[in-house]
Amino acid sequence: MTVQGLRTVTSAQNGAGAFILQCKRLDLHYNLQGASSHGLRTFVQTLLPKFARQYPQIEFRVSPTPKKHPVVRGHYINGREKPICVRNMQPNEILKKVILLKEASGEKNRRQSKPVRSLNESVRGIWSPYHGDLRGV
Amino acid sequence: MKRLQLQRWSNSVLSTRARTGSHLQHHLYNAVRRQSSTAAAVQPEFSTGEAEHETFEEIKLKTILRRTHSRPNQLKYPSPPTHAAHESAKLAALHARLYLPSRLPYETLARTLVDASADQDPNFNNESLSTLGHDLLTYYTSEHLICTYPRLPLSVIFASMYAYVGPKTLTAMTREWGVEHASSPGGEVDPGLLQFQRLAPGTELQEKEDGPRPYQSQPHWRKTVTSKIFYDNEFGDTAKTAAEGVSADQASATFVRAVMSAIYLHAGRPAAKRFFQQHFLSRHLNMAELFNFEQPTRDLTRLCARENFERPVAKVIAETGRKSRHPVFVVGIFSGQDKLGEGQGASLSEARERAAVAALKGWYLYSPLNVRLPSAMEEDEAAPWKPVHVDLGEVIV
Repeated sequence: MTVQGLRTVTSAQNGAGAFILQCKRLDLHYNLQGASSHGLRTFVQTLLPKFARQYPQIEFRVSPTPKKHPVVRGHYINGREKPICVRNMQPNEILKKVILLKEASGEKNRRQSKPVRSLNESVRGIWSPYHGDLRGV
Repeated sequence: MKRLQLQRWSNSVLSTRARTGSHLQHHLYNAVRRQSSTAAAVQPEFSTGEAEHETFEEIKLKTILRRTHSRPNQLKYPSPPTHAAHESAKLAALHARLYLPSRLPYETLARTLVDASADQDPNFNNESLSTLGHDLLTYYTSEHLICTYPRLPLSVIFASMYAYVGPKTLTAMTREWGVEHASSPGGEVDPGLLQFQRLAPGTELQEKEDGPRPYQSQPHWRKTVTSKIFYDNEFGDTAKTAAEGVSADQASATFVRAVMSAIYLHAGRPAAKRFFQQHFLSRHLNMAELFNFEQPTRDLTRLCARENFERPVAKVIAETGRKSRHPVFVVGIFSGQDKLGEGQGASLSEARERAAVAALKGWYLYSPLNVRLPSAMEEDEAAPWKPVHVDLGEVIV
């Protein structure tokens, strides 16, 4: 055999073709009686239906958890989850947190030093000391 | 070429989801649904006697409903019943996440998630869908590869097919689509989960006994590339199966193929092609990394002889530190006046080999501009077909 084919797997470039929202599930846990859950209870009744209609790709789970502060928890495609405690928050503040969870990728927060990351090789190539003219000092 | 009337023959693939023996249950369920909803709407207008009658009937209906939905009843079936598809939030979310066409119903999407190892009944599992999806995927991928890179060696075509639509890639795609696996299949499972009977740990997959390849009892005999085209699958592999259950990889691959064919059947060919381009071709693959040459210099010589080029000669273009610990040589391979390739290395032979590899890759990875694929002819009012460039193929040494 003159040439062998090496087996690899193509890597995903989310958004290059189809875009898949990375947040797949949002869990909203509230306390039925607690005062700290008042905001989330109002949010579920007023703002959540419109938000859920806007993002059908997210599965919403609403469930009471007795004797606990309210929590909104996002589940992501990479398997991680992101919980945010929303005690004593107003519905509008909670909406901001829910939007934050919706837009997150699920990765840990990292400092991005380069403006662009790419899988493609540099078009201009890597600089080589053996090519081109010699320059005098 | 005229557009195929898919709906006529696709009936056999998407046959009605009627379970034998479940007609009664289906009828009961439908009747219950209608009656209960009317009762709820009309109830306030009724007099007390009639209302009492209604409530009595409602109680009766509720018991019937509870019985139909009770766990033992659901446990009767190996996969979730059809009506469960509309109640699953996971399934609706998956449908929306993939931007699937609205003509693709939830019931079919639910069916694509049921593997043949979970439900034996071909009317309820995704086997028939995945067969069609497999053919579509291999057709679209192979025409893309062969037309865009007409000079690829066959072993590299096998490898790139594996990279684009191989089981590993399809498994990764299933994960990236956010599809979760059910721990065990059954009628009570959420239809939005991938259902399959898991392979017992440590089970080894066996080659099929009644495969098409002759002399299968001689596993150590050499398998030529030509015989792989003839007898094996699109990746040059022999099909392997286990007695019971499938691996998660196999089940995921079957699911993705089934989704592809479900789009093809319900939304038509343009939608299926768009889905293929957006989800499969948009993935990143560096074709130059798939080559592994054994003797590149020998191959290049044979190639030049075949193409009537001048015999390739390696020449040193630049060098530094020949007698030092870290020498670097830049070697170019020339055929007459033309430089075919260039490479650099710590020794002359290494640099020459790299130059030969670069020259061979330059030849094999030739890609014509403005390629038109054969499947473009299936469109309405397609321009007349002009033959694409087809190469002789790889060098035979």
